[in-house]
Amino acid sequence: MKQLNPKRKKRSLAWLVCSALALLLLIWGSPLLSQTTAVAAEASSSQTVTGTSSGLTETEGILRVGMEVNYAPFNWSQTDDANGAVPVANSEGEYANGYDVQIAKKIADKLGLELEIVKTEWDGLPPAVMSGKIDAIIAGMSPTAERKEKMDFTDSYYTSDLVVVTLKSSPYAAATTLEALSGARITAQLNTFHYTVIDQIPGVVKETAMDTFPSMISAVLAGKIDGYVSEKPGAMAAVSSNPELVWTKFAEGAGFETSSEDTSIAVGLAKGSQLVEPINQILSQIPEEERQSLMQEMVDLNVGKETQSFWQEVGSLIQEYALMFLRGAGNTMLIAIVSTCLGFLLGLLVAVIRTIPIKRKKHKVGFVLHKLLCFLLSVYVEVFRGTPMMVQAMLIYYGSKLFFSIDMSSMSAAFLIVSINTGAYLAEVVRGGINSIDPGQTEAATALGMSHWGTMVRVVLPQAIKNILPAVGNEFVVNIKDTSVLNVISVTELYFISKSVAGSTYQIFQSYFITSVIYFVLTFTVTRILLLIERNMNGRTFVLQSTSVPQPVQVPKA
Amino acid sequence: MPSEHETEVIRIDHLKKSFDSAEILKDINLTISANEVVSIIGSSGSGKSTLLRCINLLEEPSGGDIFYKGQSILAPGFDERRYRGKVGMVFQQFNLFNNLTVLENCVIAQMQVLHRSRQEAEAKSLKVLEQIGLKDYAKAHPQQISGGQKQRVAIARALSMDPEVMLFDEPTSALDPEMVDEVLSSMRLLADSGMTMAVVTHEMAFARDVSSRVCFMDQGRILENGTPETVFNHPQHERTREFLSRYLKSVQAK
Repeated sequence: MKQLNPKRKKRSLAWLVCSALALLLLIWGSPLLSQTTAVAAEASSSQTVTGTSSGLTETEGILRVGMEVNYAPFNWSQTDDANGAVPVANSEGEYANGYDVQIAKKIADKLGLELEIVKTEWDGLPPAVMSGKIDAIIAGMSPTAERKEKMDFTDSYYTSDLVVVTLKSSPYAAATTLEALSGARITAQLNTFHYTVIDQIPGVVKETAMDTFPSMISAVLAGKIDGYVSEKPGAMAAVSSNPELVWTKFAEGAGFETSSEDTSIAVGLAKGSQLVEPINQILSQIPEEERQSLMQEMVDLNVGKETQSFWQEVGSLIQEYALMFLRGAGNTMLIAIVSTCLGFLLGLLVAVIRTIPIKRKKHKVGFVLHKLLCFLLSVYVEVFRGTPMMVQAMLIYYGSKLFFSIDMSSMSAAFLIVSINTGAYLAEVVRGGINSIDPGQTEAATALGMSHWGTMVRVVLPQAIKNILPAVGNEFVVNIKDTSVLNVISVTELYFISKSVAGSTYQIFQSYFITSVIYFVLTFTVTRILLLIERNMNGRTFVLQSTSVPQPVQVPKA
Repeated sequence: MPSEHETEVIRIDHLKKSFDSAEILKDINLTISANEVVSIIGSSGSGKSTLLRCINLLEEPSGGDIFYKGQSILAPGFDERRYRGKVGMVFQQFNLFNNLTVLENCVIAQMQVLHRSRQEAEAKSLKVLEQIGLKDYAKAHPQQISGGQKQRVAIARALSMDPEVMLFDEPTSALDPEMVDEVLSSMRLLADSGMTMAVVTHEMAFARDVSSRVCFMDQGRILENGTPETVFNHPQHERTREFLSRYLKSVQAK
């Protein structure tokens, strides 16, 4: 026995430290990794990491412009480069076009930079430009006082009136004054000044602000609201795609009172950006007539085709956007699969570490370290279970760039966020699974001299995992659906694609119909496969093969 | 039965164990020598199981010491896992690994603790299973065999480790009456083969007929410690007589 004595303590300590390190690596590793790769990539093309000192942009030679790519006619999505469209950098096979895109092209051209369009959710645009993920916002954004506190803006590159889009059949369709809209249920896009001007309508019923124009259009079409506030170009585009709609033509001076900073749109830049002056220079060379004709051109480009039946429209949407939908679905599945697997491993690790028995008397240091580690792990579990994934995504993706200069790609950020989120949920599920296994088996393993790790791997976890498989499958299905919030960090998953298609074609029901079918097919297939796996694991029969007992006994498992 | 004063295997020295404020073991002194079969009897709550569980450190003693072949098992740096491999334990509830076959139940610890090859471990397990009459069930899962068979598998699992001592914690208490005998006869065979055993039991006939020594425990103390003949026929304490009279009646009734 003697020669075996002294190692035990060291080994268990080493194991503890290793697992702690592994966990930290899992949590912080992937941003670090992508940071190094990002730095390496930039270094290899002999470019500077922080562009402002030697170049004007974050990456030398490239102007990264953020926009939603679903706000026609300012910016929309199409599947080819017709009419001067520009490929979307973070969504393969998708092209952006519209007034914003044409202006961005002119600006990049004059600056001698290569234009890169980064498709980003509206609320993700300000943090993206502030953190340097993109160089400029050219997305029909107005330079409001609030935004000016956080960002710099160039001079205006378009100025328009505000109108109200409503149904042709609506009693408010013919309104020429704000008074005529009294009593109407009106909304506008969230976080825009459109929403604040609603208060100018006397006796208005101000509805909750909505996220996107497509959703407002569908709300109007469905009769949920009477109308929404829009800038004229947006209204023109919406009306040309949806013949049921009209926009109100206010008499001179009878429309919304707006300050020019509200009705004008400008290029949004990071505070202190050196791009302000050069871009102003370029914008000053685009006269008003050219702006108006460009806008008209863009609106005309976006005019809807002749009216078709619902199914015909769905059919032509599929024909046109099939590849984009598939790519979106592919990304959604990829994120869901990878993150559920990684999250499951993370959950296993956390749960196993939390169940390590350490004798206080024998391993004092180990005991304290373990207590500390367990505390950190429960903080991790509670924090990530207790906050929405969308918030985590915003914080981690933009925060890491803003405060730590870690430039994650949106896909690796998606893997990271969904994995650690899933890990937090599954850690608890696994813990429950482990607790459900009768402790007598662990005791028997201990009595045989087996280690905690050996007992877990061979005895407890196989049984626990079998018990929690339905819960893990459930989490997988939830992940397929929950990836839809990742559009805030520019991940082009299925939902974001659908938003783009809806926002670009203004065929909202049709687009989301296709999307819901795809989601359903994905989740239904996954649940069927998981059910098959479960059944396979349970089918266990034993046939006694014996020479001493003549008749075989078949005992299926209860 | 071999005589008592042979090589000492386990020596328990002023052992104490408390759970919170409740003192379960008060001052236990007991030596188990090689080839001895020590039965520990007593009413429920007298501390029998706790004593057994302290011996292989499933419970951590609060005071006193336990020596295995002269070496303190509580000393810092003592290799608990290796020691537990030498001390087989059979539980009241069998505690088989439900996800593994009978054979795997016997193989797994041999490979993990004794680092035997799979081939070696399987051969050993099959040999032990054959001795215990369960070779045909090697491929069965625990859910597919009876309680008595489960307990015999548990014995085989412990024996596969080539233990020096076997601890039995009320091995027949959870069994249907008709299955008790198959387990007891396996234990009897084991005792006859010279295995050192400590058996916590309520089977007075087994204690009287098979063991070389009987300990009677009451309220955390060993009151009697002697040959079955002495303890059963000439107990020293009134408490022992009281306990035995109740049990002997039931044994005679059988």
